[in-house]
Amino acid sequence: MIIAPVENVAQILIVLILATAAVIIMKRDIRSLIKTYAFQSLLLAVMALLLFSATGSLTLLYLAIIIIVSKVLIIPRFMGIVAKRLNIKRDVKFHFLSPTTSLLASIVIILFVYLSFSSLLSELNRFNSSIFFLGATVGMSIVFMGMIVIFTRKQTITNIVGYLTMENGVVLFSLFLTELPLLIEVLIIVDLIMLTLIATILAFGIDSTIEEFHNRLNPFISPPKETPQKQSEDDEQ
Amino acid sequence: MDYLALIAYGILNMLFVLLISPLFISLIKIVKAHAQKRKGPPLLQTYRNLAKLLKKETVYSSNSSWIMRATPLVNVAAILVASLFVPMIIIPQPTDLVGNIILFLYLLAMAKFFMALSGLDAGSTFGGMGSSREMAISALIEPVVIVVFAAMAFAFKTINLPDMFRDALASNVLIDPVIILISISLFIIIIVESARVPVDNPETHLELTMIHEAMILEQSGKNLAMMELSSAMKQLLLMGVLINILVPWGLTADFTPQAILISLGAFLLKAVILAVIIGLFESSCAKSRLFRLPGLFAIALFLAIITLIIEVFA
Repeated sequence: MIIAPVENVAQILIVLILATAAVIIMKRDIRSLIKTYAFQSLLLAVMALLLFSATGSLTLLYLAIIIIVSKVLIIPRFMGIVAKRLNIKRDVKFHFLSPTTSLLASIVIILFVYLSFSSLLSELNRFNSSIFFLGATVGMSIVFMGMIVIFTRKQTITNIVGYLTMENGVVLFSLFLTELPLLIEVLIIVDLIMLTLIATILAFGIDSTIEEFHNRLNPFISPPKETPQKQSEDDEQ
Repeated sequence: MDYLALIAYGILNMLFVLLISPLFISLIKIVKAHAQKRKGPPLLQTYRNLAKLLKKETVYSSNSSWIMRATPLVNVAAILVASLFVPMIIIPQPTDLVGNIILFLYLLAMAKFFMALSGLDAGSTFGGMGSSREMAISALIEPVVIVVFAAMAFAFKTINLPDMFRDALASNVLIDPVIILISISLFIIIIVESARVPVDNPETHLELTMIHEAMILEQSGKNLAMMELSSAMKQLLLMGVLINILVPWGLTADFTPQAILISLGAFLLKAVILAVIIGLFESSCAKSRLFRLPGLFAIALFLAIITLIIEVFA
């Protein structure tokens, strides 16, 4: 179905998408995180166009157009606005794993996904070509790598980038393994746009972390503690 | 006859590395200068520096031992022998005599080891600091280098560098995706091993950031020239490995003058492009803190291990 040079270019694209996911795990600078995400989406769109040229299925063409409009242009723009409003340049707080450790953890994840796919799905006929196997594995791994980004980073804006990366993984997976109906793809992307839109609106509120935002939203439930020093001053007066 | 060709290859390759390598040091400096809207040194400045240093007398510290005297020679010798392993323009006939990557890596490591020793030898504070930093970074990058070269060996199913280049030249696909992963790792290794910006700053002297420059601070005259020449050659060797694996087009296996000329032109063109990329990369990032460096190495390690996974399990 897919001729050799196309397959080679597709492999190169898959590998590059995996490399961008690694960069997203490592980067601390928010602007370059967003740029890397846009580049990853662009690679994904090129991949969809490539598969369109090989198979001729119009769904892939529409998908490529939607990806370019939404994920390469609109969402990174929104995220840029959010980053500027928040006045955060870099995310240096991590929850459980440092970026280096999470990169090593993702090696284990990729190995795990690879082994489980090769044992579970090797009977399926879709895997007559190794490219489908590689694409599905990398797609699933990127979903997990996005999840790592979400739970290791503290800042909300980076969590959103992690979520977007996860979604890119789902698209890559669906390109190669199970073709999702276009309607679902469109709905997911509308979802993403709504997510970034809400993030933009909330930009005034989210200073740094979810916890602080929570306190700010509920000033009456958990009132800010008054320092004992101030109380003593009041007593003197 | 066979041995004659091999000897001719060796002499040509060595001379090529020896003569061309300073060019790329200046070229990267020019690219960096242009990125900062400066003019930069002329293209032949590194040759002039080396010629000037060769004329000067060598001064030894009264505290220094034979290590100080031996290090420049050991460095140049080790790197020159290593240059036999990386065919730049002509691939020699298949032979077991040259090309083992493990020996190649150990030759580079030996040069580095002696350089670190000479930094300690004179007993100056800067030299010792540079050596200890260099060794700390080496301890981190060395496993990465080994894994990357092991991934290369798995990808090409050989541990012989000329055989790898021959395979890369003969492969009919455009670019093997695995090679891209290895190339990114190799690029990071070039940056680290040739003491470039996110890791070390090659421009500064007497700054607290310097690593490589601090180690050769005690060298002077001819010895300094040899140290600088050997680090230039090391950079060109690693660049040659990257170029001949990623884009081997134009590389030749036969000894006709025409083929050699084409190959020479192609290699110079590709090396110039790579040098420009290195210069732009250096200009685009700042020197990072010592404790942030493992992150950079982890990317190289990650990509190399992915290569291993793909090669071993696929």
